[in-house]
Amino acid sequence: MQAESSPVIHTTQLVKNFGRTAALTGLDLSVTPGEVHGFLGPNGAGKSTTLRILLGLIRPTSGTARVFGIDPWVEPVRAHKDVAYVPGDVTFWPNLSGGEVIDLLSGLRGGADQRLRAQLIDEFDFDPRKKARTYSKGNRQKAALIAAFCRPARLYLLDEPSSGLDPVMDAVFRQHVRRVSAEGATVLLSSHILAEVEQLCDKVTIIRSGTAVESGTLAELRHLTRTRFRITTEANPEALAAWPGIHELRVDGNTIEFDADGADLGSVLDALASAHISGITATPPSLEELFMRHYNQQPAGQNHQVL
Amino acid sequence: MNTVVRLTLLQTRRDRAELTAWILGIAGLGYAAAAAVTTQFGGATDRAALMTVAAASPAFLFLRGLPDGIDIGAVTFFQGYSFTAVLAGLMSTFLVTRHTRDDEDQGRAELVGSTPVNRAAPLQATLALGAGANMVLAAVVAAGFMSAGLPTSGSVLAGAAVGAVGLFFMSVAALIAQIMPTARSANGVAAAAVGAAYLARGVGDALGTADASLLRVMAAWPSLLSPIGWGQRVRPFTEADPLPLVALTAVGVVLAVLAVALRKGRDLGDSYVAAKDSGPAQAGSGLRSMLGLSWRLHRGTLAGWCVAAAALGAVAGTLGPLVRDALSGNPSLMELMARIVPGDAGMVDLFTTALLGIAGILAAAAGIQAALKLRAEEVEGRAEQLLAVPASRSRWVTGNLVVAALSTTAVATVAGTAAAVALSLTQAGGSGPGAVFAAALAHIPAAIVFPAITVLAFALIPRWSSSIGWGALGAALVLGQFGELLGLPAWLQDLSPFRHSSAMPVEAFNPGGALLMAAIAITGSAAAAYLIRQRDLTA
Repeated sequence: MQAESSPVIHTTQLVKNFGRTAALTGLDLSVTPGEVHGFLGPNGAGKSTTLRILLGLIRPTSGTARVFGIDPWVEPVRAHKDVAYVPGDVTFWPNLSGGEVIDLLSGLRGGADQRLRAQLIDEFDFDPRKKARTYSKGNRQKAALIAAFCRPARLYLLDEPSSGLDPVMDAVFRQHVRRVSAEGATVLLSSHILAEVEQLCDKVTIIRSGTAVESGTLAELRHLTRTRFRITTEANPEALAAWPGIHELRVDGNTIEFDADGADLGSVLDALASAHISGITATPPSLEELFMRHYNQQPAGQNHQVL
Repeated sequence: MNTVVRLTLLQTRRDRAELTAWILGIAGLGYAAAAAVTTQFGGATDRAALMTVAAASPAFLFLRGLPDGIDIGAVTFFQGYSFTAVLAGLMSTFLVTRHTRDDEDQGRAELVGSTPVNRAAPLQATLALGAGANMVLAAVVAAGFMSAGLPTSGSVLAGAAVGAVGLFFMSVAALIAQIMPTARSANGVAAAAVGAAYLARGVGDALGTADASLLRVMAAWPSLLSPIGWGQRVRPFTEADPLPLVALTAVGVVLAVLAVALRKGRDLGDSYVAAKDSGPAQAGSGLRSMLGLSWRLHRGTLAGWCVAAAALGAVAGTLGPLVRDALSGNPSLMELMARIVPGDAGMVDLFTTALLGIAGILAAAAGIQAALKLRAEEVEGRAEQLLAVPASRSRWVTGNLVVAALSTTAVATVAGTAAAVALSLTQAGGSGPGAVFAAALAHIPAAIVFPAITVLAFALIPRWSSSIGWGALGAALVLGQFGELLGLPAWLQDLSPFRHSSAMPVEAFNPGGALLMAAIAITGSAAAAYLIRQRDLTA
C-alpha cells in the first residue's frame, strides 16, 4: 500500500540557475499516482525547466527531483522506462515523414501499439506520409501527441500539448488524456488554457518566478477566490465599504458591486440582510480570477536575477 | 532608411563575429605565406631552387598553382593563392546560404517577408553583405601582404584576386540557394562548386608547360574552366593583368542578377529543384534505434562526400600518367625531375600520394560534419525528444560516432578504390593498385581523430563544438601544407594528426603512428560518451 500512494513525481526545494538567471527558486511539486495534475504559470515561470529536470535532461542546481522514486539525472534510462513526453516546442527531422517520426520515437520507447497508432492517426486526421518539413505547427503537435499516446506509459509529461490544435483535435486530445487517466496513468499537464485545466485536472499547481504559489484540488483553489456580488440598495455604500471581507467596492447610482472572500461570506450576508436590498446577483468564484491574480503580479521582494 | 540597407545591417550584425574570423583567418594565412617566403627564402638562389622543384613536381602544381618566377611576391602568390581563394569561396558560400535558404528553412524569412519589403530585398541585402565582406577581405589580404614587405600594387591586385573569387562564388551560391530545396543541399552543391574549381585549376596547372628557365609554368586549358584559375592569371607581382578580375566580377554580377530574378519569380520556401514532400507512412525496422536514426540523417550527405572522393581518386589515378606523358616533351625538365625523384614510377607515386593526402582531409571533413549533427539536434530541440526515451545519452553519442567513423572510412575507401581502378586502367606504372588502395586507407586513423575531437568538444563545450571541429581541421591543413614552408618547430607540426599517418606509397607504412592515432580517437570518443552524461542539455 505504501508504494501505491508514494508520489510519482516529487520535488523538494528545486533550484535551477542558468548563469545569473534563476529559473527555479525552490519548487515543491508532488503528483500522486493516477492524478491528472495541471501545471500552470505565466511565461518564463519555470514550467519547461521543471519538466526538463524531471526528464534528467538538465541537472538541478540544488534540491531533489524524483520520478517513480528515481533520480532522473542519475538514472535517466530507468526513470524514462514508462514516461511519454510531449515537448513545448516540437521540432522534427525535416526529411523524415510523420509516420517515421512517430515510429522512431515510440520505437525507442519499445514500440507502438499498432491498433492504438492506427486509431490515433485516424482520430487526429493525420497524414503520416508527409515529410516533417511540410507540417504546420498543429500537425507537428499531432505527431508528437500520437507518438506519446500510441504506447501506454505510466507517466505522461505534456508541455502545453494542445497549442496549435483546432477545437476538434483539442477534443480528441482531451479524450485521450481521460483514457490514459482511466487506465491508471499519471499526467502532468502544463497549460495556459483554463477550460482545459478545469475539464481535465484533479489537482493544480501554480508556479510563478520559479516557485509554487498555489497547489491543491480545483475545489480548494476555488475556495481561495472571491464571490462577486452585485446588489441594488438604498443603503449608504460607505457603510458597506467598512464591513470586513468586502473588497473592490464600486458604486454606480444605487447599484453596488463588490467582491467577498470565501471565508467572510457569512458575515457579508449578515451585513446585507440589514441593507434594504431590492436586487442581488452573486457570481460564483472563478478560477480565471485566481489565475489572473497570479499571472499579473510580481511577488514582492523577488527578482529574476540571482545576486 | 532604405529597406535593403536596413536588412544588410541586420545581416551584418548577425555575422560580425563569424565573418571577422573568416577574413582574419584567410588574410592571416596570406600574411604567414608572405612572411615565410621573405624569411625562409630571402636569397634569390633559394627561391630559384624552390620554384624549380615546384615546376618539376606536378603534385606541387596541382596543390598550389603555377610558379611564376623568383620574385618574392610571385613566390608568395604561388604558395598562398589557391588555398586563400578556396577559403574565400567557402566563406561566401556559407554566408549566402545562411541568409537565404537557411532563413527560409527556419521560418525567419517569413517574418521578414511580412514587413513592407520587396520580395528580393533580403537576397539583395545578402549580396550587398557578401560584396562588402569580399571587398574587406581583399583589402585585409592586401594589407597583410604589404605589411610583410611586398610591393603595394602587387599586394592590392593579389588581394583583389582573392576577393574576386569570393565574389564570384557568392553569386554562384545565391543562384544555387534559389534552386536547391534545403540549406544543407544548397551548401553542399555550392561547396562542391568551389571544390570543382580547385580541382579544375589543379588539373590545368599540373598539365601546364614549363618555360625554358624552368621557373615559370603556363597552365593548360582545364584551368580556364575554373574561376580560381582565372584569378591566378592576374599574376599580380609579375606581368600584372587585371582583366581576369574584370571578367570574374562581370560574370559574378550577371549570376547575381539572375539569382535576384529567380527569387522574384518563386514562392517563399519553394525551390526550382523540388524536394520530395512525401515518405513512407511507417518507419522501416532500421529507423527504430539511435544508430539507425544517425545513419538515416547522414546517409545523403555521405553520398555527396563519396562522389567528391571518387572524383578526387579518379583524378589521382588518371592525371599522374598524363602529366608524365606531357612532360616527356620537355627534356630539360625530365632531366631535372629525374634528379629530384629517381625513376619513372616515382613521379607518378609522388602525385598519387599528394592527392590521397587530400582524400584524407576530405575523409576527416566528412567525419566532422557527421559528428556535428549532434549539435544541430541539440540546438534545434530534437535531442530533447530523443533523450526523453529510455535510451542513454551515451548511446545517442555513440550511434553518431559510429556513423562519423563510418563516413570517414567510406570516403577514404572510395577515394582509394577510384584511384586504384584508374591507375590500373591507365597502366601508369608506379605502385600497383593494391598499394594505392592501402595508401588511401592509411589516412583513416588520423582522419578519425577529427570527429573524435569534435564529439569531445560537443560533450564538454557544446557551443564551441563546430568551431573546434572545423578549426582543428583548418589548423592541421595549415600545419601540413605550410608547416615546412613556415619553418615551424617539429613538435608543433607533430600536433597535426596527418603528420602521423604514412604518406604511402612514397613512404613505408608506419604502424606506430596509425596505432597512436587510433588510440587517441578511441580514447577521445570514450571520454565524450562518458562526459556527455555530466552536462545539461543546452539550446
